[in-house]
Amino acid sequence: MKKILNFTLNGDPYEVAVKPKTTLIELIRDEIGLTGPKVGCNAGACGACTVLVDGKAVDSCSVLALQVEGHHVETVEGLADGEKLHPLQEAFLDDGGYQCGFCTPGMLMAAKSLLNENPDPSIHEIRHGLSGNLCRCTGYVRIIDSIHDAAQRMKKEGGES
Amino acid sequence: MSEFSVIGKPIRRIDGVEKVTGAAQYTTDIKLPGMLVGKMLRSPHPHAKILNIDTHAAEKLPGVKAVITGPRDTLGVKYSNWRRYPHLMDETALAMDRVRYIGEPVAAVAAIDNDVAEEALSLIEVEYEILPAVFDPLEAMKDGAPKIHEGPTVRNNVSEARHFEFGNVDEAFKTCDYVREDTFYLHSVVHAFIEPYNSVARYEGDGHLTLWTTTQTPYYIQTLLAMALGLKEGNIRIIKPHVGGGFGGKMELFSDQVVASILSMKTGKPVKVELTREECFEGGRRRHPMYYTLKTGYMKDGRIIAKEAKLYTDGGAYNAMGPTSLYLSGFFQMFPYNIPNYRYDGFHVYTNKIPATAMRGFGGPQAEFTCDSQIDMIAEHLGMDPAEIRLKNRMEPGHVIPGLAKVESCGIKECIERAMESTGWKEKKGKLPKGRGIGMGCYGFMSGGVFNWINSPYAYSGAMVRVNVDGTVNVYIGSAEIGQGSDTVAAQIVAEKLGVPMSDINVIRGDTHTCPPDLGAWGSRQTLMVGNALIMACDQVLEKLYKTAAALMGPNVVYDYAAKDGRIFIKERPERGLDFVEVVKAAIRADEGNQIIGRGYYTPHDKGMVSPAYSFGAQVAEVEVDEETGKVTLLQVTTAHDCGQVINELGVEGQLEGAFVMGQGYTLSENLVTDQGKILNPSFVDYKLMRAPDVPENFTSLMVETYEPEGPFGAKEAGEGLTNPNAGCIANAIYDAIGVRITDMPITPEKILKALDEKKKKRQKDKRNE
Amino acid sequence: MRDFDYIAPKTVEETIKVLSEYKDDAKIIAGGQSLLNILKQDLMAPEILVDIKNLSELDYITYDDKDGMKIGATTTHHAVETSPLVLEHYPILAEMEHTLAFPQTRNWGTIGGNLCIQDPTGDVAPILIALKATVKIVGPNGERTLPMEDFSVDYYETVLEEDEILAEIQIPAVAPKTGIAYSKFRIVEGDAPIVGAAVAFTLNEDGTCADARIATNGTAPIPLRIPDAEAVFKGKKITDALIEEAVEIAGEAMECIPDIVASDEYKKRVAKVYVKRMAKKALSQIQ
Repeated sequence: MKKILNFTLNGDPYEVAVKPKTTLIELIRDEIGLTGPKVGCNAGACGACTVLVDGKAVDSCSVLALQVEGHHVETVEGLADGEKLHPLQEAFLDDGGYQCGFCTPGMLMAAKSLLNENPDPSIHEIRHGLSGNLCRCTGYVRIIDSIHDAAQRMKKEGGES
Repeated sequence: MSEFSVIGKPIRRIDGVEKVTGAAQYTTDIKLPGMLVGKMLRSPHPHAKILNIDTHAAEKLPGVKAVITGPRDTLGVKYSNWRRYPHLMDETALAMDRVRYIGEPVAAVAAIDNDVAEEALSLIEVEYEILPAVFDPLEAMKDGAPKIHEGPTVRNNVSEARHFEFGNVDEAFKTCDYVREDTFYLHSVVHAFIEPYNSVARYEGDGHLTLWTTTQTPYYIQTLLAMALGLKEGNIRIIKPHVGGGFGGKMELFSDQVVASILSMKTGKPVKVELTREECFEGGRRRHPMYYTLKTGYMKDGRIIAKEAKLYTDGGAYNAMGPTSLYLSGFFQMFPYNIPNYRYDGFHVYTNKIPATAMRGFGGPQAEFTCDSQIDMIAEHLGMDPAEIRLKNRMEPGHVIPGLAKVESCGIKECIERAMESTGWKEKKGKLPKGRGIGMGCYGFMSGGVFNWINSPYAYSGAMVRVNVDGTVNVYIGSAEIGQGSDTVAAQIVAEKLGVPMSDINVIRGDTHTCPPDLGAWGSRQTLMVGNALIMACDQVLEKLYKTAAALMGPNVVYDYAAKDGRIFIKERPERGLDFVEVVKAAIRADEGNQIIGRGYYTPHDKGMVSPAYSFGAQVAEVEVDEETGKVTLLQVTTAHDCGQVINELGVEGQLEGAFVMGQGYTLSENLVTDQGKILNPSFVDYKLMRAPDVPENFTSLMVETYEPEGPFGAKEAGEGLTNPNAGCIANAIYDAIGVRITDMPITPEKILKALDEKKKKRQKDKRNE
Repeated sequence: MRDFDYIAPKTVEETIKVLSEYKDDAKIIAGGQSLLNILKQDLMAPEILVDIKNLSELDYITYDDKDGMKIGATTTHHAVETSPLVLEHYPILAEMEHTLAFPQTRNWGTIGGNLCIQDPTGDVAPILIALKATVKIVGPNGERTLPMEDFSVDYYETVLEEDEILAEIQIPAVAPKTGIAYSKFRIVEGDAPIVGAAVAFTLNEDGTCADARIATNGTAPIPLRIPDAEAVFKGKKITDALIEEAVEIAGEAMECIPDIVASDEYKKRVAKVYVKRMAKKALSQIQ
C-alpha cells in the first residue's frame, strides 16, 4: 500500500505516493527521474548514491523514502546555481577530480557535506571525509586535491556555498 | 614543446560539465516508454547437466511478458572475441545443456517491474544433474579430472597453451654463474567498475535492433550480437552512452546484452537488463590467478643471461580473454629488460569458476610481481643495489625481441634514474629504520595490441573529420571513452592539427551507426591508434584547405602551409595567411558545396606481434610495517613514466594514480574468495577496495618524455602499464622493511606475521645449531 | 526486498503500543543502515516496519555532573561525534564515533540502532562498557535498566523483547584519574573493524589501580567484557608486566570466529595487541 510523502528536493516541494519499501534512491531516480545520483552497490558501501538530507551526506540506497518526510533533500542536480557551477564543480573540472564520472555525483555531495561542516578541511580530514565513497578510476588523489582547492576558492569568494 | 597550442596543455576535459552536474547519461539512466525489466536466473551449481527447465509457472505469473531459455529461445551460437580462432569460442548467452560455474545464466524473464521479474525467476524450475567439479588449475590438469569442455583441442582442461622461445636457453643456463628458481602464486581480483553491467535493447522490427550498453568495445558487441541473434551486423546499432568504468571487464559480449535483445525481440518492447552488484561478481569476470615459476640464470656482475617462465592459469569456465592474458603475461615477463635467452610456456586451464579475462595490465601485473620480486632476490644474493641491477639489464631504444617486438622509444633508464633521484633512493635503500622500507618495481607496456582476434576486416581504428562552414569541426570516432579521457585526447589532436580552439570541436562517438568501426578500449590503444587515424583524417582536410588557401593567396612559388590559431598561413612566412573560416567557406564553394571531410584509419606495419609502441616506467614505494599486526602502510609513492609526448598531463597523472591505487588494492586488500566455486564476498561490503584514507598521502608522478615515432605527436601508452609494477614494488619495500618476502598474493597482514614468525624460528634454530 | 507496511509513531508510548500489537510481525527501523541490507537480502521479512528514526523524543544528549550523560537512542552517530558535551566529558566516545563506518552512515545511523543490530564487530559497545554505561529499555510494563555488557545475547540478538525498545544510553560521570582508550584494527581504513579493544583505568591517589575495564569487539559473538583480565590490575600499580599478564588472560576469553579476511588465531593475536596498546594508552592519559 502506497503512502503519501512530503519533502523538498533541491528546494522544490514534492508530494508523492510511495510504497514503504521504496528507498530514497529509487524514489529520486525511478519515480522522480533525477538520474544524477547513481546506484553502484545498493548496500551503502560505495557512496555513488550520496545525497544530502538537511545538508548532510547520506547513502540514498540505505534510507527509506518515507523516512525523509519533512526533510530537505539535495542531489548533484541542485549543486550549481543555474549556469553558475559550484566551486566544487569548478575545482573537479580544473583539477581532474573525475574520470568515468559515475562516482562523481556522490563524491561531490559527500564533499559538499564535508565543507558544510568544515569549510577549511585539512587533506587528512578530506581523505577521512571520503571514506564512504568508492572511486575505481582516480585513486582518489585528484578528488582530494579538488576538494581542497574548492575550499580555498570558497574562502576567496567569501564563504558562499 | 612550446610549439603546441593544445597538446600537453592543461585543458579541461570535454565531458566535464555534464559529469559534474549529474547530467551525463549512462546506460543505467536510460528509461524508455513501455520499457520492461529483464532478469536472469543463474546456476546454483558449479558444474551440472541441465535435464529440464520448466517455465510454465513463471509464464503464467501476471506481469510476465516473456520467459526464455537457451535451448528454446536462442540460436545457441558459441561466441566470444575469438572469431578468428573458432576453437576458442566456447560461451553462449544462456546455458544450453550444461552449466560450468555458479552464476552462469540459465534462463531469463521480461516483466513489468523488478518485483514481478524476481518472482518469475523463483517460479522457473530447473532440473540439474550435478557433475563433479574442479576449482584449481593444477587439479584440473590431472588425468581423470572432470572434463569441463569437450572438443578436439581441449586436453586435460587446457584450452590453450602458449610457447615462445629465443636464443639458446638451455645452453645459456650452463654458462651462468648462478641459476635460481622461484615459484609464486597470484590470486584473483575483480574489475569493480562502479557502474554495474547493464543494457537496454529496443527491437525496431524487420531485423533492426538498437542496444544501449555499458561497454568498452561497441564494435565487438555489434558484430558478436549479430552472430548471437542471427541478424545483420549493420542493422544492429550499438550506442555506448557514458560508461562507468571498464578496466577490461566490459570488452566482451555479455549475457545481459544478448538477453535484453532477445527479450525485446520477443515482446516488441524495450527491455532493460541491469545486474546487481552481487551479479557483477557472480556472473562477471575477474583477473587470472596464476601459478608462476621463474628460473633465471645470471652472472656475478648482475647480468641476466637466461630466463625460463612457466605458468598455469585458472581460466574459469570459459576462455574469455584468457588466452591473450596468458600470452601477454609471458611477454611482459621480459619487460623492461634485455633478456638474451628466454623461454616461456603458459597453460590456460578451465575450472568451474567464473571466467577470468583481461583486466588492467592484461597479464602484466602477475608477470611484473614475479619478475620484480625475483630481481630483488637476485640483487640481494649478489649484494647489489636493486636499482643498479635493473639499470644494468634494462632495454635500450631500438630493442628487438626476436619474432615478437620492436621497441622504438624507451625511456626506462631516465625513469629509473629520476625515480631514484626524486625519492632519495640511495640514502634510503637498506638504511631506513626497522619497520620502514623502500622498494622498486619497473615495467613496460603496450600502446595497443596488434591483435585481431575478432577477425575484423576493418582497420584497427577509424576516424572521420568534417569541417563545418563556420569553422567548427565534427569528429567521428568509434573508440570508446570509458572514463580515461580518450575523447578529450581525440579533440586535442584535431584542435592541434587544424589550429582551431577546443570549444569548436564536437566529438561524435559511441554509436556504431554514425561512427567508424574501431576495436575499442583495451590494451591502452586509443591514444595511439585513434590519434593516428585522426591525424590522417585531418591531413586530408588540410590538403583541401591548403589548396584553397594557395588559390586564394596566389603566391608566386609553391609554399608549404600550416594551420594554427584559427589561421592558415604560409609556413615560412607566418605573417602571410588567411582566416581559417574564410578558407573553409571558399573551399566548400569551390567544390560545388561538397562537405569537407577527411577520413583516416590506422593499421600498424612492421611492428612485431604485439604492439606498435611501448611505454616504460619505474616506481618506488616507501612503506611502514606494523610488526605486531602485519599491517602495511604506504608512506610515499613515486612513479616516473615514459608515455612519449604527453597530450594531457592531468589525464596522464590521473591514470597513473588510479592504476597505482588499483594495484595497491590488488597487493594488500582485494581478494575474490571462493569455496567450491561459490564466491564468498560478492559485495563491496566484503570485497575490500581501497578507500580514500588508504591511498598514499604523498604520490609523485614524474613525466619522462620521449618521442615515439609511431605515436601521434610522439605519444604512447599511459593508462594501464602502471598497474603492473605495484605488487612487486610493495613486496620489495616490505622486504626492505622487515626482511620477509611474500611470494603468495595478496600480501595480507596475517601472511606477514606468519613469515615473521618463521623467520624468528629459523633464527633461533640457526643459533642453536651454531 | 519484500513488501511491508510502515508506520512512524510520534511518541515512545505509541511505538510500544504498535509493537505490542504486532509482536514479532513488526521490526523497528531507526537509521536502517544495517537493517535495510538485511531486508534487501530477504534475510528477514517483517509485516510492518516501525520507523523511529524521526522520533524526536529519543533524540537528545544531556549531561550533569551527578548522573552523567544521557543519550537518546535515536541520536545519530554524527550528533554524538560532534556534541560539545561529548567532546568535553567523553572525548574517547567522540573519537570512536569519528571513525565509525562512513560519514554517510554516521549522518543517518543512530547509536541505538547500532547497538540493537548487535554486530559483533561493532565499535560502540566496547567503549560504552569501558565507560560503565547502562541502557534503558522501555516496554509495555515500564522501564528496565541494564549494564551495557548484559544487553547483547548472541550474533545479531539482544535482550530486547519484541515489544520493547532501547530508549536511552546512560553513561556515569568519569571518575578523576581515569584514562580510557579505544582503537580498532582494519586492513582498509574506513572499513568495519576486524577486532578492537577498549581499556579504561582509574587510579587511586597512590597510583594503584582502583578500577579497570577491558572490552573487545570482533572477538566473540557479543562485545566481550573481560573481568578476569581487569582483575589483574585491582589495587596494584600498573606495569608493563601486569599488562602482559592481563593481555594473556584476555586472550583466553576470546572466541574469535575465522572468516575470509583472517583466521581466528590471527584475530586473537591482533586483539591482544590492541588490548596491550590501549592499556598503555589509557594509562598514559592519567596525569
